[in-house]
Amino acid sequence: MQNTILVVGAGPAGLAAAASAASGGAKVVLVEKAAKLGGTPILSGYAKLVPSGEWARDAMGRMVKRVEDAKGITVYKDTKVTKLTGEVGNFTATLSNGTSVACGSVILATGFTHFDSINKPEWGFGSFEDVVTTTQVEQMVAAGKIACPSDGRVPERVAILLCVGSRDRQIGREWCSKICCTVSTNLAMEIKELSPTTDVFIYYMDIRTFGLYEDRFYWKSQEEFKTKFVKARIAEVTRAPDGRLLVKGEDTLVKRPIVIPMDLVVHAIGMDPNEDNPEIARVFGVGLEKHGFIDRAEHYTNTCGTTRRGIYAVGAALGPETIDDSISQGTAAAMRALADMNALVQKTA
Amino acid sequence: MAIHEKSLIDPARLQTSDNLVLDGVDVSGHWNTMVLPRYLTDYDTDFARQIRTFSGGENVHRCWQCGSCTNSCTVYAQNTDFNPRYWIYLTNLGLKSEILKDKDIIWTCVSCNRCTNICPKDVKPEGVMKALAHWLEEEGHTPETRSSIFDDEFLGQVYATGRIEDTRVLVNFLRKTNQSLTPPWLIEVGKRMMKYLPVSFLIHMGLHLIFKPRTKSWGRTGDVLREYVREQKEIARKARAMPKEAVHV
Repeated sequence: MQNTILVVGAGPAGLAAAASAASGGAKVVLVEKAAKLGGTPILSGYAKLVPSGEWARDAMGRMVKRVEDAKGITVYKDTKVTKLTGEVGNFTATLSNGTSVACGSVILATGFTHFDSINKPEWGFGSFEDVVTTTQVEQMVAAGKIACPSDGRVPERVAILLCVGSRDRQIGREWCSKICCTVSTNLAMEIKELSPTTDVFIYYMDIRTFGLYEDRFYWKSQEEFKTKFVKARIAEVTRAPDGRLLVKGEDTLVKRPIVIPMDLVVHAIGMDPNEDNPEIARVFGVGLEKHGFIDRAEHYTNTCGTTRRGIYAVGAALGPETIDDSISQGTAAAMRALADMNALVQKTA
Repeated sequence: MAIHEKSLIDPARLQTSDNLVLDGVDVSGHWNTMVLPRYLTDYDTDFARQIRTFSGGENVHRCWQCGSCTNSCTVYAQNTDFNPRYWIYLTNLGLKSEILKDKDIIWTCVSCNRCTNICPKDVKPEGVMKALAHWLEEEGHTPETRSSIFDDEFLGQVYATGRIEDTRVLVNFLRKTNQSLTPPWLIEVGKRMMKYLPVSFLIHMGLHLIFKPRTKSWGRTGDVLREYVREQKEIARKARAMPKEAVHV
């Protein structure tokens, strides 16, 4: 019977799981495939996080520090798990650095992969420099300057296209990525803060700023920062002779086609299942649900449980997820793993 | 017939030249009919701000297009072309040419304020209708009508004397609109008055028509009012001419 919990992935969910498990008395081995801890918010260079408004480097920095300062957490960076044998209470994991880890349970906090806009070529990403993704705008905001990549000018007009890589049967992505609406309305405000004379247009099918994000992001962006919301799914982005971009589509409410000039077009990219999920499913012996995220065996009495006993999944590994909820799930899974291991000890005693 | 289903095309987009010769070939009439593209090519990004400077239009940018205003609208129940929800959208995107298409019905809002009471975002759609009507007037999109001539006559008398004289408003209105001073309905009114013969009232009316009474101690009040209205309009006009809006405006 092993008192070690293996946590895979050091993003918000993994860091929360590791810290919680350690504070609950377990030994923790935290494995991260990147060279840095902090996960996507750090690796993709996010600016201010939704909904706290705190800089990603500060927020994630605190989470990383908590893990680094904790007793009983061993961290392996630049490392993957290549093999897992055994069963709940007695797993043996082999790491890519050759280490072998004996553990009682595993928490998969393997996250997601950003949708690659190149898979929607009609929207101009890859063809025109001034078509960028929300991740790139996050980086611009973090660097304190909003500019068109082609020539460095401050854009007079920015179009944010929602649901890029989400809710689209044509590219096999039938899910809503949950947070892009909120992130986009937040980015619209950040763009306005950096350049008050820039007009920001959000092209939407629906606005899904759920829960308390409604007035704090959608309403605020519209009412205080004058973001314009246009109900149109853009069909195509092309370039005008003067070098500006043209967004084409149908304005659903005016019932007429539109061809509107823009300086910067931003794809609000969705969350794909982690591109490594097939490998993760094979190594850990867990099932994937129909979209390719990690599957749950059962929702109500073991929310973080995968299809294999003793292996839990949290955060965006299970489907598009917010940072806050990923952290809660990380903590919940740590609690559950501790409880399950305790039950095993009681049983054998 | 050059174009099938012409009814589906906005007439303004159908262009036909009565006399046209191209390369020596006479293509006059429907032979040269062209249909202009129907797509929208730009937004007037300053328009919503301009409408916000008119009283009532302050909250227009809050709209999220739920349609509660149109659904609750008294006028919409009579005329489905009267669609506040749609005009608010056009205002926010600055699609002025589309708004102008409806300039003859926007002012028919009866200010029942059902929309204002139901609006979940507190847009005050009734105010927006008022603001749009004022904008149309300010920009000269609403030609002088009998109704506006009547209003001017009415207001002019208030400025001048602090009161109105029904008879004088009526006579001046009929004169300014080149109408007969004795329309049949007025003759009928006269006849019925004769029937009951309110002598003192008629004498009163006659005297007022000749002596043009003023409200007591009206003095320069009319001039001051006129100046105040002018000043307010000037301030509003300057606000509208302001360059691009900055955030939090």
